[in-house]
Amino acid sequence: MSENIQAASSPKAPAAKFGGTGLTVAIVAAAVVTVIGLVLWGIQLSGGMIQTNMRNMDSWGLYITMFMFFVGLSAGGLIISSIPKAFGMKGFGGISKVAVWTSICCTCLAIGYVVVDLGGPFRVWELFVYSNLGSPLMWDIIVLFVYLILSIVYLWAQVRHEAGRVSATALRVVSFIALVCAVLVHSVTAWIFSLQQAHDMWHTALMAPWFVSSALVCGTGLVLVVVIALRAAGYLKLEQANIVKMAKMLGAFVCVDLYFFACDLLTEGFPGGEGANVVAMLTSGPLAPFFWIEVIGCIIAAVICFVPSLRKTPALVVAALLAIVGIFCKRFQILDGGFQINNLADYGMALTPTSVTNWTDGMAGAYAGLVYTPSMLELGITVGVLGLGALLLLLGLKFLPLKPVED
Amino acid sequence: MTHYGMVIDTQKCIGCHVCAMACKLENNLPNDIWWNRILTDNGGEAQFDMVGGTYPDDLHFGYLPVSCQHCENPACVKVCPVGATYQDPETGVVRQDYDKCIGCRMCMSACPYTGVRSFNWEEPQYHMDYATGGKDVPVHQKHVVEKCTFCYHRISQGIEPACMHLCVGRARFWGDLDDPNSEVSQLLATREYKTLLPERDTKPSVYYLV
Repeated sequence: MSENIQAASSPKAPAAKFGGTGLTVAIVAAAVVTVIGLVLWGIQLSGGMIQTNMRNMDSWGLYITMFMFFVGLSAGGLIISSIPKAFGMKGFGGISKVAVWTSICCTCLAIGYVVVDLGGPFRVWELFVYSNLGSPLMWDIIVLFVYLILSIVYLWAQVRHEAGRVSATALRVVSFIALVCAVLVHSVTAWIFSLQQAHDMWHTALMAPWFVSSALVCGTGLVLVVVIALRAAGYLKLEQANIVKMAKMLGAFVCVDLYFFACDLLTEGFPGGEGANVVAMLTSGPLAPFFWIEVIGCIIAAVICFVPSLRKTPALVVAALLAIVGIFCKRFQILDGGFQINNLADYGMALTPTSVTNWTDGMAGAYAGLVYTPSMLELGITVGVLGLGALLLLLGLKFLPLKPVED
Repeated sequence: MTHYGMVIDTQKCIGCHVCAMACKLENNLPNDIWWNRILTDNGGEAQFDMVGGTYPDDLHFGYLPVSCQHCENPACVKVCPVGATYQDPETGVVRQDYDKCIGCRMCMSACPYTGVRSFNWEEPQYHMDYATGGKDVPVHQKHVVEKCTFCYHRISQGIEPACMHLCVGRARFWGDLDDPNSEVSQLLATREYKTLLPERDTKPSVYYLV
């Protein structure tokens, strides 16, 4: 994430004019990071995924965390920009196209993270030939592609509308369909996890609505950071009133998300069975740092968004970043937490280097701390995919007509 | 219809790990890969091959051989996006098509029996220079999910799975659960048994006599 923001805000030329050398340098830098990522991915594929820290008992890792995270950012960003249009409300001052473009970049990133996680990316074509339509993963692939195409159509429709070639009604219809699809895409992503009866932490009906609320938190946060950065860089003009409006929404979304978290923790923990282990793991176990960063960060974000004297631009950027970091921590809690509780962990078993990440100290050792932490290669590839996202974002800003039309 | 299942008598299992080794040799499993693992049940202390509890009155020690449970309601089959893991309609055996697997590892995550599915995280390597076991065993592939096949290459020829063939304690029984006269059905009719993680609603085809 930080990559994206840095890249987006780096061309801070003193002149109010956006673009020029700064932007070109940023584009080149993003391209270099992307190429390094591709090389590392080649290393992962040729030398094997043994170079990652994923293993049989913790078979997903940072890539799937980032996948969840970016589907959320994307869905949230699109919802923010399409709600005003779909319901005919006053918008946020012409940031819609930038928000949709950011969202499209995030969707591409999400797809990128699934691709680097696959053991056999050259067999991806099979998804369309042997599709098992009963698999939530298949639902997600379908919805994600439909969503990507729709987002592009939505962006195109906005540009054409401004040129007077698409009617307001048509744009409103497109924005409404895009809104529904954005909600759906994140619900389906939640179902990948919540429909698995194997993990107590994941198997909850709240997961889908909760994913949508988290998407709104980090999506609004991202749009806020991007538009403030672009305003500072002189790309667009935006009244503070619009930023304040978005900040209030961010505060509300953060509260809803924390409320869902509280509901889920209470329901898991109260009966005192397996679910109590989930609560303990989050609040005082190996995932406690992620849990408390999320909770405290989100509370601070909400306070900044709600208290008028704090709701100034630098603090708002902090609030937005805290919200984004908080949701990333939540994604990691979900991913790692699912594997942190092993249904057969009460039994002793012979572990090999392929069993679990920290296999050398037996079952107790493997689950004493975080069962999974990413390897350097995984971190490198993750940054590489972020570089691709930054590249797309910057190229869009440079070459696409995303600036608000002067009223 | 045939529904193959296995019954394991935990009273007879002596924890010799020969079935795990038989599985490894029969299926020519790559280094560090075990489809059939003998878990130690020592009252939750999770130590391998060790007695749990306090000496001398409160000791726990038992064995639980665990491999794919070939569930009637398999969580893995539902989630596989390409149908690489599937239930054999003739026998109920949960099978794996290596050539189809895209390596997304959704099945590993969906399976409640953590660790029975294994992924070839690198190009398969072998301690020996030659392949061992059945000649019809599919070739292992890099970045593909595998697991116990119930020795499909053997049972399709009417031979019992390799793990029970060498069982020293004669603790393993295999047969058609739909046939009331089969040995496995008879054992389940007369002995007390349990299944692993019944609360996950997967309906395993592996039963443990207690």
